[in-house]
Amino acid sequence: MELTAGNEIYKINTESPEIFCIKEFKNKMQTIRFSSRIKILAALLLALIFFVQSCKKTSPRSSPDKAQSGKDNTQTTTEVPPPRGLVPVPIELPNPMFVGTPQDFKVSNLEKPLGKPRPPFLAPPGTENAAFLKTVSGTDDMPIIGEIEMITDGDKQATDGSYVELGPFLQSVTIDLQAKYDIYAVLLWHYHQQARVYYDVIVQLADDPDFTTNIRTLFNNDRDNSSGLGIGSDMHYVETHEGKLIDAKGARARYVRLYSNGNSSNELNHYIEVEVFGKPAK
Amino acid sequence: MKYPKKCFAFILLAAIAAVSLRLPQLDARPMHTDEAVNALKFAELLQKGSYRYDPNEHHGPTLNYLTLIPARLSNAHSLSDINEMTLRIVPVFFAILLILLLLMLADGLGQAAAVIAAVLTAVSPAFVFYSRYYIHEMLLVCFTFGAITSGYRYTRNRNFKWAILTGVFLGLMHTTKETSVIAFASMLLALLLTLLMMCKKGASISDTLKKIKPSHLIVTIAAAVIVSVLFYTSFFKNPHGILDSAASYATYFNRGFGDSLHNHPWYYYLKLLIYSGFQQGPFWSEGLIVFLAVVGFIAVLTGKGIADVNIHLLRFIAFYTAVMTVLYSAIPYKTPWCMLSFLHGLILLAAIGAVVLTKLAPNVLPRLIICLMLIVAGLHLTWQACRAAYTYCADPANPYVYAHSTSDVVTIAGRLEQIARIVPGTRNMHIQVICPADDYWPLPWYLRGFANVGYFKYVDIDIPAAPVIIVSANLEDTLAEKLYELPPGKRSLYVPLFDRYMQLRPGVYLQTYITKDLQDTFEQYHP
Repeated sequence: MELTAGNEIYKINTESPEIFCIKEFKNKMQTIRFSSRIKILAALLLALIFFVQSCKKTSPRSSPDKAQSGKDNTQTTTEVPPPRGLVPVPIELPNPMFVGTPQDFKVSNLEKPLGKPRPPFLAPPGTENAAFLKTVSGTDDMPIIGEIEMITDGDKQATDGSYVELGPFLQSVTIDLQAKYDIYAVLLWHYHQQARVYYDVIVQLADDPDFTTNIRTLFNNDRDNSSGLGIGSDMHYVETHEGKLIDAKGARARYVRLYSNGNSSNELNHYIEVEVFGKPAK
Repeated sequence: MKYPKKCFAFILLAAIAAVSLRLPQLDARPMHTDEAVNALKFAELLQKGSYRYDPNEHHGPTLNYLTLIPARLSNAHSLSDINEMTLRIVPVFFAILLILLLLMLADGLGQAAAVIAAVLTAVSPAFVFYSRYYIHEMLLVCFTFGAITSGYRYTRNRNFKWAILTGVFLGLMHTTKETSVIAFASMLLALLLTLLMMCKKGASISDTLKKIKPSHLIVTIAAAVIVSVLFYTSFFKNPHGILDSAASYATYFNRGFGDSLHNHPWYYYLKLLIYSGFQQGPFWSEGLIVFLAVVGFIAVLTGKGIADVNIHLLRFIAFYTAVMTVLYSAIPYKTPWCMLSFLHGLILLAAIGAVVLTKLAPNVLPRLIICLMLIVAGLHLTWQACRAAYTYCADPANPYVYAHSTSDVVTIAGRLEQIARIVPGTRNMHIQVICPADDYWPLPWYLRGFANVGYFKYVDIDIPAAPVIIVSANLEDTLAEKLYELPPGKRSLYVPLFDRYMQLRPGVYLQTYITKDLQDTFEQYHP
């Protein structure tokens, strides 16, 4: 609404009467000569303003529901200020996913998985895989799948064509390093396309191919002597792509023999790769 | 159909023995993953009234719908209202029905054989163990036998009602498990071989087939189709279920013959039945059943020692069992409960074999010795059944325990329940379960009393850490990184809830962490 007084024009916003300053208005009224029409109009307006103002003040009290319903935003924000500018975020928790029958493991003395990549093992400079492309012999002359030479061909994939499958019961493979080596570690992969545990895993070193002299057992998890090679205290382990690392403690030998006696999925024996890390003995 | 009183009484006694072996302590064994998944699938039906057949997993709908009966009877309306008893009572019921169905076959099988079959079914360790298992297998075996008995009864009197009942059972088989096709194929082949044998003896196949009224055949097929459609469409709520049921065979064929975690050699089932031993645990054998079944099979084919029976029925059972055994052994995918389908056939044959052995004995003394030996062997089976169902119910030494949850799962859930009961406000606390490949079952069953449980495949950096975290040992380091990478002042101190790693299943390790604050509060309330 516009109010004219002499050459000056006053703008009064009737919709926002709370910003109207009455005291200031009265002072200005004293200094300006109003015509009688304007005075009446002004008086009426003033009365209207006071009326509206009084109505505005009482309205929140008279209708609390309206304020609570959130339509009066100012009211709501004044009552519940956000804590330091933060708002609660509803967390939607994922429901469980339905799965099929899990894999069966009937294995006692199973070692706990490491849960992280295996740290590198340390060995003297010049240590290399002495088994690479070396001669391998085994108790199963006619493997069911693959060739015995695959064990030292450097291919560590678990896919078809990369592993050799030997028959059931206790089977062994022997690697001839063709010279004596100071052996620091033996790293072997049976089969890791699925989680499996191989039984009666025994790793031995010897100086002769028949394993009659200076036999040393590096690893033995045959807990019930079902292999007939003595009871071992090592734990069963789940095959992974990392392979099983066995500490050979620098033992000197030319022949490495590995036994196994079936696995948790079937009674067959498998090898993907065997690596023997060492240095030629001086 | 008339039953001699003695036969009726003995089969009833066998059924009572079966109840007493199966019913006690139904909650003693921790829930298997499959049971827990079935339970939560059923809870969806119970709570929301919705079921949708999944052609890729979890088998047919009968188990879910039939569990509604005990749930309604126990006034259960939600997941938290149901317990192991509500669920496992369903297979127990069908295990008892399986025994009682022998009454319908007593005149064809021979009364003595029917009674022996009832006793062997009641005390077979595999049957006792899996009768207390909330999976589909016992229902499938029961419906299959129901179809055979109803079909046999139809051949006796050509009654329209038996034709309908046969169809209903066939439909129920189809809606229970996809492996019912193996039973259908075995039945068809066995029927064909039986007809060929009849043909050899001078009967005409066409004359035999003519005895079946076409209208009855149509009624049988219609009943089977109606039952199947009703269940697969979730009672017309999901018409696509019919197509899904057909599509599921491609999935299950690939699983059966593809590379699987459950591939085992052909002799897996037979070895399981004849001899099983695990490390220092006891040895287990149902070799008696296998041995007597071989005797029964030979006797049925040769006709020696067989009298007062329906030889055609016996031949059908013999061929059916042989085909089922061969097919199940040939399929690389094997789980031990699958063998129940042919083990039941072996039990029927074993009962015939036992009768033949006693009849072939030349005089009273050898007959008494054979009877005594059979009783002792039967008692041994009962003893093994008790060990399987109770003492070794979740022990890997039990050959029927397969990929089973350990009692650690119950311990974890029990401790969290204890916290929730004692510490105010913890019933609604956040719990995070973090296991790769969703390998956390059956925890969702055991944590069903908690409102805010989240299940994660990996450690999610963006999600705030919950006061209780159950984590796979494989992800422990990743979780530690997440918990201690928070800014200083916002890191909560977490402590292990148990002083050792817990095992979900043998070899699957879990660690449970709770905030130090919660631990302290718990100890204040429960010193």
